[in-house]
Amino acid sequence: MSATDVYSAESGPNPQEALVKFTMLLGGVVFLLMMVFGLIMRVAQGDLISLDPEMFYLLLTAHGAGMVGSAALSGAAILWFFSARHLNLRSSIYIAFLGLFLAGVVLILGSIFIGGYGGAWTFLFPLPAMSGGLWEAWAGVMFCVGYLLIGVGFLLYYLELGLKIASRYNGLLGGLGWRYLFANNSTDVPPPTIVAASSVLVFNTIGIVFGAAVLAASIVNLLLPSFEVDPLLAKNAIYFFGHVFINATIYMAVTAVYEILPDYTGRPWKSTKLFIGAWAAVVIFVQAVYFHHLLQDVNMPAWTMAVGQVVSYASGVPLIGVTVFSLAVYIKGSGLKWDLPISLLTLGVVGWGLGSIPAMVDGMVSVNKLMHNTQWVPGHFHTYLLLGEVAMAFGFAAWLVRDKAVTTLSSLDRLVFRAYVFGGAGFVLVFLWSGASSIPRRWAVHYEQWQLQSQLASGFALIVVLATLVLVVRYVAGLARRSQ
Amino acid sequence: MIRIVMAGTAFSVACSLQPLVGQDPVIHVLAQFPALILAGSLLGGRFRLPQHLTGPTLVLALVSLAIWMLPRSLDAALLDPVWMVAKFVTLPLCVGLPLAAAWSHVGSVLRGFLKAQAISMLLFLGFLYTHAPMRLCNSYLVDDQQRLGLGFVYLACALILWWIIPVFFGQISSNKKDDDNDVSRHRIELR
Amino acid sequence: MKQVTFTLSAALLGCAAIWQATDGGRAVTAEGARRVQIAENPVHVPPVSLETMDGSLQMWPAQGQPILLEFIYTTCPTICQTSGGDFAELRDHLTDKGLDVPMYSVSFDPVTDALPELQSYGEAHGASGQPWTIARPETDAVAGLLDLFRVTVIPDRWGGYQHNIAVLVINPNGEFAGAYDTRAFADIRSAVEAML
Repeated sequence: MSATDVYSAESGPNPQEALVKFTMLLGGVVFLLMMVFGLIMRVAQGDLISLDPEMFYLLLTAHGAGMVGSAALSGAAILWFFSARHLNLRSSIYIAFLGLFLAGVVLILGSIFIGGYGGAWTFLFPLPAMSGGLWEAWAGVMFCVGYLLIGVGFLLYYLELGLKIASRYNGLLGGLGWRYLFANNSTDVPPPTIVAASSVLVFNTIGIVFGAAVLAASIVNLLLPSFEVDPLLAKNAIYFFGHVFINATIYMAVTAVYEILPDYTGRPWKSTKLFIGAWAAVVIFVQAVYFHHLLQDVNMPAWTMAVGQVVSYASGVPLIGVTVFSLAVYIKGSGLKWDLPISLLTLGVVGWGLGSIPAMVDGMVSVNKLMHNTQWVPGHFHTYLLLGEVAMAFGFAAWLVRDKAVTTLSSLDRLVFRAYVFGGAGFVLVFLWSGASSIPRRWAVHYEQWQLQSQLASGFALIVVLATLVLVVRYVAGLARRSQ
Repeated sequence: MIRIVMAGTAFSVACSLQPLVGQDPVIHVLAQFPALILAGSLLGGRFRLPQHLTGPTLVLALVSLAIWMLPRSLDAALLDPVWMVAKFVTLPLCVGLPLAAAWSHVGSVLRGFLKAQAISMLLFLGFLYTHAPMRLCNSYLVDDQQRLGLGFVYLACALILWWIIPVFFGQISSNKKDDDNDVSRHRIELR
Repeated sequence: MKQVTFTLSAALLGCAAIWQATDGGRAVTAEGARRVQIAENPVHVPPVSLETMDGSLQMWPAQGQPILLEFIYTTCPTICQTSGGDFAELRDHLTDKGLDVPMYSVSFDPVTDALPELQSYGEAHGASGQPWTIARPETDAVAGLLDLFRVTVIPDRWGGYQHNIAVLVINPNGEFAGAYDTRAFADIRSAVEAML
């Protein structure tokens, strides 16, 4: 870290620590609750309990919105925490962000469990308006307004981050590291966290703007049905937003690896040209790849299919080629002592990398035609969320409350970590296996010949839920211990 | 003095456009409205506004602008002489002037938020005016309505370029007030 | 604290102003405002003389029963033709329910729309004169009618006009009491039934 840094590990506590700790508690509890929802859905699909299909879709909607929301919340907390090591961020903005976020969550939960909104987290136009009598228009409006509030919160968050980066690193180009990359200007090269923060705030702000536009259009359509949006245009905007937003969660969370790993290896994570170039590629790819969600829309121009397929492959290069590979290089021969935080963080990076492989497979036009509506796709995103973002978030949380005297995995920690990996891997593999055997996704009731997979998945999910419960309890205990 | 002359010029330009606004909503909304707002803001730039009036002043400007964004207000300004006069009074004095007077007190995050809000509202209006299944204004032809919608979109694009490019190159006007209100910084200093 | 109080009060006032300006969040367009305001405050329609497609003159509107009307011009290539079709469907909808309500398509272009034009428009849309007839006012009565019914007519650069179209309802007291979308058959029927 350079001498001009506002904060460094030696100079005292991070000013954002209390807020971030609170956020991680919130995120952890919601993760756990949403996992329970997921478990209930799998158990119901396995016909081990009987669940009203209507309730299934409420749970599906809550699970999707809740998981994306808490992934975004925990990612945002991590990025804020580490950005505060380099920038003078204002807590008041973070509090406003958190307040808007929670207000949005209240509206979303209200629309789902009071209003009966069950149109899935992607609010795909015109689904919110076509409930078939299951929910009223106001429930759809409430859901969309909840999202808008969260979007406004994120806008404030990124504005503060962007303004502080732009004034500290001489514009966002400086924060992205592009002056170093393209103009070879090596004065004041931003640290990895700032490169990540700049990149995420650029593409996620664009994503949120598109999301807000289509949400506003959907609200108008719900209130005045004669205002119709071109459904294909709306779908493009929604998947652009959705893809960018969910990817941003993990790109924010990975800053934990950049900042925490050096504590363990004694080797600082450097902003090399390769690193900055990889992030520059991410900024482009993450926005161009969303076409792979629309490979089944026959009205899309052919070139979008080509872009979707090519970029799906290309996205893996900066990710696997740079982050996973760098991690391996930094760890190798460093004599790193494995404890729970670093184990979970490493798992997060590995799971993220592995999770992109089924995405590349599904990103192939010919495969997508067969697999898109099967459980292959949840298999892909559960890999990079459950074994990726969520693992990173719990790794970061465990690091926040770590006991500095303990440098090894206790036997409980080892058991929990193994259970999490075993349960998580089993859970996602069953999804992939089910997808490969053409079991559809989003079905509330499964045929008898599909129920074995769902029952197996329920078992794995239960293991994950229990391991996560221990992680949350351990975090709360850690908070209590440190506040004494 | 120069400001007053410039404000007067902007106002006269707006008045001279009045014969054309009945024919063309683009001139009405994207030429006359901005000219009137500009006239007010040139007057408001030097205003010494007490700190505790910033919020209400900003609200006044935003509410007045919101009312003028309603399609029915456009119709009323063409059909009803009271509304026509109200247009020439309220756009400068209730939108432009308070906005300019409050602006120097507005922190950079709120500024950014207002700019983002302006862009998204323009894009939203662009969507409404190009997609509406009916005519939104009784006084304008449906083709002109769509032209106005595209005009909103072009304006939004122009504002994006104007406001975003400086952020990339580092010439941002940061506000001194930001650091005064900085909670986290106080905490650091206390330490 | 003072600032927060001031700002919140201003925001409340602002919401009230927007509420007022949109008739309680119900109307953002002039057409929407017409529909909301007329339903709440019906306007007396002073009698005018109408020439109907059978060539007879009548003082209009007749009181004691609800009347439906829409404004058209017969040379209209687009919206009046569609709404003529909608009006025919509305007539069928109402007669199917046993409702015999006089319906008028009134031309706001009586100079062009002479008797033959009215008749051919009626023929094209199956208006037989009973209960639906095509009619025109006298030329100097047009402006007053358009003003009363809040219809805005503007030239469309192709020799025709664009105008806000709706099915208008006159109640048995001879008051303009409602404006509806041309395809809102059920709403129009319940409005008429409420007046019987």
